[in-house]
Amino acid sequence: MPQFEQVSVFGSLIFWSLVSFGLLFFILKKFAFPPILEALEMREKKIRDDIKDSEKLKNDAQQIKKELEETLNAAHDKAETIVQLAHDEAKKNQEKSLQETEAKVRQVQKDAEQEILSLRNKLLQEIRSYTATLTIASTEKFLKKVLGEEDKKKLVDESIEQVIAELEKRQNN
Amino acid sequence: MESPLHHFEVHNIIPIHIGGLDLSINNAVVAMWVGLAIVAGSFMLVVSRGVSPIPGKLQSILEIVLEFIRNLVFEFIGEEEGKKYVPFIATLFLFILACNLIGLVPGSYTITSQVVVTGAFACGIFIMTLVIGFSKHGLGFFCILVPPGVPKIMIPLMVPIEIVSMLARPISLAVRLFANMTAGHTILAVLFGLAMTSPLWVSWMPFGFTIIINGLEIAIAFIQAYIFTTLTCVYIGDVVKLH
Repeated sequence: MPQFEQVSVFGSLIFWSLVSFGLLFFILKKFAFPPILEALEMREKKIRDDIKDSEKLKNDAQQIKKELEETLNAAHDKAETIVQLAHDEAKKNQEKSLQETEAKVRQVQKDAEQEILSLRNKLLQEIRSYTATLTIASTEKFLKKVLGEEDKKKLVDESIEQVIAELEKRQNN
Repeated sequence: MESPLHHFEVHNIIPIHIGGLDLSINNAVVAMWVGLAIVAGSFMLVVSRGVSPIPGKLQSILEIVLEFIRNLVFEFIGEEEGKKYVPFIATLFLFILACNLIGLVPGSYTITSQVVVTGAFACGIFIMTLVIGFSKHGLGFFCILVPPGVPKIMIPLMVPIEIVSMLARPISLAVRLFANMTAGHTILAVLFGLAMTSPLWVSWMPFGFTIIINGLEIAIAFIQAYIFTTLTCVYIGDVVKLH
């Protein structure tokens, strides 16, 4: 094999390979490796810091989320309470209003009944008066004589009774 | 047919003789310089442009290589102690890788197929580990010859075994790289020679295999550089930590 036979080149091969290695080592160590290794370390540090920061932010975000959820739940509960209170109040007001309206209606009805009754009595009184006058006048004209007080009264009462009975009969129909 | 070992021959290009020592510049040295120039040129190009926080393609490749080597060193030597060895280990990896890869270019030469070169590096690393061991631990470094947990009665037996084991390290380191590079290039030379000398209807087969083996050799170039560097880290880690 030439690698064992060409003994004369051994010296130059060893010498130049070691010198070349030394030179390459010097160049790379002096000029090339420091900035590249520094950039690598800086990038690693930045990545580490970024991961650390992102973890911190994640924890903070989780904490804020938790707090917000708690606030939201509290607000939800509060809103429910307010809605319930409003509902109760509205119901109460509605009942009160209904009672008032019913009372008012009852009062109006009562007043109306009272008024109707009063008017009815008044009307009956007037009818009685007119009927009395009319009956007496008609009877006097018919009989061509003046009736006594007792006959007048009897006649008037009978006529009134008859008219009222007639009116009530019509009213019922 | 030409010998498949023919392309391992070294030819002087510029003869240099200093005091009876032949330091001629030959085809192997020139090929190595081309490979190293590409490595150094790539790094200097990135550095001269300015190392950007957002790396370009070339910077990304170089950063990946450096990060890979740095992690390797930290794994075997330790982060605190290993920092100072990163430039040396990275240079060693890039040197071996460049020499292995440049040899795959037709007409070039793989200087790592020379056992004297791989041997010189292996011996240099072995001596360096001894220097590191003694400078760090003093005479306590001899503890490396006694594995932990060995009964005292076994120590006289274990010490010679450990010495042989230690001495075998540079030999195995040198021979592994040299043998792999030589074997790969020999297979390529045999296949390519067969493709060139066979009739056309047969030659496509060895030619196809040449292409496949060439692809395999690229992978081997990376693997061997990785193994050489890893073992160097392991040896340095051993002497730094003493087991």
